[in-house]
Amino acid sequence: MTVTTTDHGEPQKDPQDDGRSIEAVAGHHESREQRHFKERIAVWLFIGGDLVFLLMELFYWFYLRALNTNGMWRGAECSKANPCTDGLGNAITGEITKANPAYTLTIAGLTVLAAFLIWRVEIVARAQAKRGVISGSAALALLVLLGAVVVQCIQFGKLPFTTIDGSYASSFLYFMGSTLGHLLLLTFLTFALWNRGRLGKYDGGHWYQVRLSRIFAVWIAISTCVLALVMVVFA
Amino acid sequence: MTTTDAPPMLLEDTPLGKGAGGLYRRQNALTGLVGGVFLGFIGWVVSHRLLQGSNWGSDMVVTVTMVGWVLGFNIGMGTFNAPIRWMLGHDQSYEDELYAAGVTQGKSRYWKFCTDHKVVGTQYLILVMVLFGVGGTLAMMMRTQLITPHSSFLSANSYNAIVSIHGMVMIIATIIMVTGPFTNFIMPIMIGAKDMAFPRLNAMSFWVVVSAVPPLLATFFLGGVDAGWTTYAPLSVQAPAAMDAFSMTMIVFVISVTISGINTIVTILTMRAKGMTLGRMPIFTWASMVGAALSVYAMPALLITFTAMITDRVTGTSFFVAAQGGTGWLWENAFWIFGHPEVYIILIPPVGAMLEVASTFARKPLFGYKVTIAAFTAVAGLSVMVWAHHMFTTGWAPDLAGPFMVTTELISIPTGIIFLCIIGTIWRGSIWTRLPMFFVYLFLWDFIIGGVTGIYLSDVPADNFFHGDMFVTAHFHYTLLGGAMIAAVAGLCYWFPKISGKMLNERIGKTAFWIIAIAIQITYFGQFWEGFQGMPRRVAFYDPIFLHANQMTTVGAYFLMLGFLVLLYCLIDGWRHGKPAPANPWHAKSLEWKVPTPVPLVNFLVDPVVTTDPYGYGEPEPDNLSTDFPDPDRELVPTLSSDRPVTGGEVL
Repeated sequence: MTVTTTDHGEPQKDPQDDGRSIEAVAGHHESREQRHFKERIAVWLFIGGDLVFLLMELFYWFYLRALNTNGMWRGAECSKANPCTDGLGNAITGEITKANPAYTLTIAGLTVLAAFLIWRVEIVARAQAKRGVISGSAALALLVLLGAVVVQCIQFGKLPFTTIDGSYASSFLYFMGSTLGHLLLLTFLTFALWNRGRLGKYDGGHWYQVRLSRIFAVWIAISTCVLALVMVVFA
Repeated sequence: MTTTDAPPMLLEDTPLGKGAGGLYRRQNALTGLVGGVFLGFIGWVVSHRLLQGSNWGSDMVVTVTMVGWVLGFNIGMGTFNAPIRWMLGHDQSYEDELYAAGVTQGKSRYWKFCTDHKVVGTQYLILVMVLFGVGGTLAMMMRTQLITPHSSFLSANSYNAIVSIHGMVMIIATIIMVTGPFTNFIMPIMIGAKDMAFPRLNAMSFWVVVSAVPPLLATFFLGGVDAGWTTYAPLSVQAPAAMDAFSMTMIVFVISVTISGINTIVTILTMRAKGMTLGRMPIFTWASMVGAALSVYAMPALLITFTAMITDRVTGTSFFVAAQGGTGWLWENAFWIFGHPEVYIILIPPVGAMLEVASTFARKPLFGYKVTIAAFTAVAGLSVMVWAHHMFTTGWAPDLAGPFMVTTELISIPTGIIFLCIIGTIWRGSIWTRLPMFFVYLFLWDFIIGGVTGIYLSDVPADNFFHGDMFVTAHFHYTLLGGAMIAAVAGLCYWFPKISGKMLNERIGKTAFWIIAIAIQITYFGQFWEGFQGMPRRVAFYDPIFLHANQMTTVGAYFLMLGFLVLLYCLIDGWRHGKPAPANPWHAKSLEWKVPTPVPLVNFLVDPVVTTDPYGYGEPEPDNLSTDFPDPDRELVPTLSSDRPVTGGEVL
């Protein structure tokens, strides 16, 4: 390989980006746009991996539903004369009741709302709004997300089945757990957006981290809606 | 050519303030260990008290304990420092970043959360060797048990547990054996980058995988995983609490590999030197990228599989238990949706490394560069469509056996093309037969055997005959040990001078090579023999008709272990007492050989600009080029202008 070289002199920090260098060792020649590009690709790759995870979840759901082993998807064939067995070996003598769709749809709706609010944070940050506007929008998104988490916790307590009641119950609870995990991750990011916005970290056009959060939030909203749709329509 | 009078000060010599590094200053492997034990203990006590009454070894208690260990270890190591500081708005300063990169820390940085990709690569190398040591020791125990038909060396349960952990330790080790050390250490330099795209994520991926090792080894003290490395349900659902620790290991490993894969892809896509187009990238870089892409999209299948396994065992859900609405077929499908791409996650990067070796020592451009890249991509694409060939005998979807047989056989076409490209590269080359090249030859021999026997197994009728017997074991050991691992050893011998700054003693290395080369044939031909006789896998006791084949395998395995011990001695001896390595001992063309040895912290003191591909061995060299290669036994001194390290302020 033939190489030539260009002399760029001493390693430099980006003077406009005090303390935010991600290129830890080099700390040299990358502009914010270049770093944004790298991080955006990373976020999209992560979303790609998460998409595979979502597809696998759907595979689990529809495979177990279609197979309906021993009639135990929701136990429609279980009766006193022909009881099924739950995870503790107890008899199940009737169909497992479906979960109330209101909670599921509410969580999906709140997640979509949170994604829109995070999008708004990006818009105001890009418009170089005052830090109060940026952090206020992020605080609103954070509240909505916390609301979704609370509704999810309430739903856990109100379910008409437990983990041991067959494969529908198992899959439903797994979807809920997966949604909760994603919501907590987004809550972490949104808390950081609010806090950093409050501290003025997104003043003066430093909006690229907000954009990454928005991309991720939109993905979370989409995946939550897909899971909710499956849980409600294909029970 | 112009040079400045004084080279610029190296970044690693930068004086740092007392506060630089913040918490990182107080954190290392010891604090990680303390944190892990502390949170693990807290998890153990709390889960026992609150959830399970008096049962200290229940699934719930073990799971919570392992979660506590993993979190505590990583908190103690400093894995989460930067994300937490970012969330709180206290970003790390430039000095903090320099400290994290190992500046002013000397050798202690190898025990810390260090963001320098070369340190992370070296850490991975040590970890991989430790894992191979553990897996190899377990293999020796298995073979010792099998030296006689009814040996009392191990109990049946212990044997089963050892089989399972041997399998998974080796799978983990082989997945990271190239992507860990070489993709981290070498690849960024190869493409002209100063580090990986995300140095902190890079360090995180290493320490996260370290935290997965103790839970894996803890399985021996928790009743053992007696369900084989594939841990098929429902056997694994009924296994002792060790299965919870095993599942936790796999979940943590998935997280590490996914992070690492994303980092690799972003680094390659966005941090190449000026002029290094995709068409000029070294083939190892392509192989790393394809392997990383495959891992990012195969690992989530494993993640859902093991999280569902934990919920089945801990909370009583019914994914895999047929009596309650689940099915073992779901486990098998999900496991192999990950499991077959995993073979290529293991194989593609070492083959890429070996192609670098072949081109360098044949002094020829890589034969079929673009075809090889296409073949890598085709293998990766097809590998996600072949998983059910592992399930021909399970009764799942018999109508799909034909299509899966065809896709499996199709994958042998691009694999064969890669093989031909290796041969084409060597063909009529001016072969410089140094130690790395020996292992290339061994790869060619072993992989043809492993590959061809794989085609037998892809055929439904042959698979119905061979499934579950030692023929299959011999096939995949020829492929993974004789193929992938030997290719990785070729890469290790090739890049060792750059990594360690020392030359290997070739005489010791060649001794190791011959022992390994012969022992592989004895060991795995023995297993083919056992398979043809019909001996099943995973049995601690067997009928005396299999005695001679088993004795042959066991003797071969002892020699194999001996060969690897000699190789290990060669590496340690080279590292400690080897002759200092010049910057480019092999007169290779790619960028990693253009930087000084040892490599400076920022790799390139000046930014390289690439103007040709890395395999221009056939091109006219400068007038002062000497074509007689130095004798390996005398001190190597770089004499060629093209070999001279690029230094600061210099224009070649």
